[in-house]
Amino acid sequence: MKLAAQYNRATLIITLVVLVLAGLVYYTAINYIVNKQLDRDLTEELTEIRDYVSTNQQLPKPLDFEGDQTTFTRTHETELETTFFDLPYHKNRGNKIEQGRAVRSMIILKGNNYVITVAQSKEASENLTQLIIGITVLLTAILLVILSLTNHYIFSGIWKPFYHILLQLKAFNVADKGNINLNATAIDEFKELNEAVTVMASRVKSDYQNLKTFTENASHEMLTPIAVITSKLDTLIQDEILKAEQFAQINDIYTATNKLSRLNQSLLLLVKIDNDLIQDDTTINLKDLILEKEHQLQELVQSKHIELTHQLEDKGITASKYLIEILINNLFNNAIKHNLVGGKLHVTLTQTALTFQNSGDGEGLNGDEIFERFKKGAHSDGTGLGLTIAKNICTQYGYSLIYFLDGQYHTFKIVF
Amino acid sequence: MKLLIIEDEQGLRESIEKYFTEAGVLCESCSTLSAAIAKIAMYQYDCILLDIGLPDGEGFTLLEHLKSTGKNEGVLIISARNSLDNKVKGLNLGADDYLIKPFHLAELKARTDAIYRRKAFNTNNLLNYDLISIDLLAREVTVNTTNITLTRKEYDMLLYFIANKGKVISKNAIAEHLWGDEIDLVDSFDFIYTHIKNIRKKLMEAAQKDYIKAVYGVGYKFA
Repeated sequence: MKLAAQYNRATLIITLVVLVLAGLVYYTAINYIVNKQLDRDLTEELTEIRDYVSTNQQLPKPLDFEGDQTTFTRTHETELETTFFDLPYHKNRGNKIEQGRAVRSMIILKGNNYVITVAQSKEASENLTQLIIGITVLLTAILLVILSLTNHYIFSGIWKPFYHILLQLKAFNVADKGNINLNATAIDEFKELNEAVTVMASRVKSDYQNLKTFTENASHEMLTPIAVITSKLDTLIQDEILKAEQFAQINDIYTATNKLSRLNQSLLLLVKIDNDLIQDDTTINLKDLILEKEHQLQELVQSKHIELTHQLEDKGITASKYLIEILINNLFNNAIKHNLVGGKLHVTLTQTALTFQNSGDGEGLNGDEIFERFKKGAHSDGTGLGLTIAKNICTQYGYSLIYFLDGQYHTFKIVF
Repeated sequence: MKLLIIEDEQGLRESIEKYFTEAGVLCESCSTLSAAIAKIAMYQYDCILLDIGLPDGEGFTLLEHLKSTGKNEGVLIISARNSLDNKVKGLNLGADDYLIKPFHLAELKARTDAIYRRKAFNTNNLLNYDLISIDLLAREVTVNTTNITLTRKEYDMLLYFIANKGKVISKNAIAEHLWGDEIDLVDSFDFIYTHIKNIRKKLMEAAQKDYIKAVYGVGYKFA
């Protein structure tokens, strides 16, 4: 639920509750005041009647007097407290019943006790109450409208910096060069939020940069020792008094060293792509590049008896030749390495896509996982970085690289 | 050929020096930029192997120095810095080639020979080894007065072998020379076998002599 909606709902409920309570309090208070007023009137009336009785030594006629209805009833009770109470009021002795207020008391005339009841209509005060309730309801409505308008203003105005921060955070990318760009705001909380976000973003970025620098430096530092190992091995194999099994071990060291070196180069390359350090864009004819690569790799393809076919259109792109060569190389490499002996490899280049399809065991691979670093098949002796590099190069130029199993062909497709 | 090796990593420097000396190259070496500049001022070299990251400065300084003093020694940069910028910078400053660490000594030797040959092209474009004679301009190979036809890769391979004659060259080094270091090598080893077999056969038919010898599955030796 949106903050605005949540807030609106809360204010709405609170406003309604408060106003209903206020209405009730109003009603009770007015009722109380009206009753007090009526009771005073009735007391006055009662006093007048008492005065009349004591002066004239007779009961007044039970007439409506200014709308007052007075009745006298003889009683044998000797004591009766004066009480005020509500009762239905029959206007003009007719059928119309209104709310009424009455007083009951005792009057003594010539030794006889009489209960005297004076009733008055509450009609007028009832109207007042209704008017007050009406006004309250109207006020409630106006207040609600004003509140929702205010909320609307608050959310579109005051909360603007918040939504701006949110937008920036969503777009935040640790690898980006640019810093987070926040608007100045007069509200302290948002100022604080801005500061916190800015500090966090720059810290995350510097951490990320440090990590990358570390990777780069570590990889660099490793290259020289690897170079020493390689050169020592090259020297060692010149010694022909070594035995066959020693040569076999040297061979293993060669292979391991070679892998180490390629791993390093791959990591360095990834850092460079991530840092956007390779910017030598030129116009490249992809078709020519693919044909060149096919030519370069033809012996490898032949040695595995792979049937290589292609269907290539002329397609020009603007990118770094270095990176695109690596991209094509990695995809070819992948399609040859994981191919069957006597398998097939088909390359298709159209204006919109470049597709590598190779035969292999029929099992599909996880289309998301295979592009992750160091994810590789159980039998693969590669670095596990080739496809990651390919993916990153594609991302760099806004291409998408996807994998899917098309029939029994493993398919890697670059969509330009 | 007279060679100057400028490399601060002792292990690597010694290996290179040993390898080249055994191949009949006159080698001198040093580990700092200042020592290198001093040596260049005193002697004339055919080729210089130059490391970029030196303790007392960058190898680029030496290139600038060579340029300003009008020397035209062939320079091969050997660097751990595999960046296009560095490569372009080095080549622009007059270096002849750029080799990234780690590398195989056989590759280094082949590239150094290529630079040396280019420098001496005016005088001689024929490369002779035993019965084999290669016209470097026409890229033609004659063995025992018979013209033999080699594919581009076979021709490259033959030059590579001649540059490293008498040395055992590992299969790793050969694979890297043929496909660069971007390819996974294990798959390519089978191919190297057939590839070498083809060259061997062609040379044998013409020369009646086996030049290439397999060494315990680790590599090959051309002699």
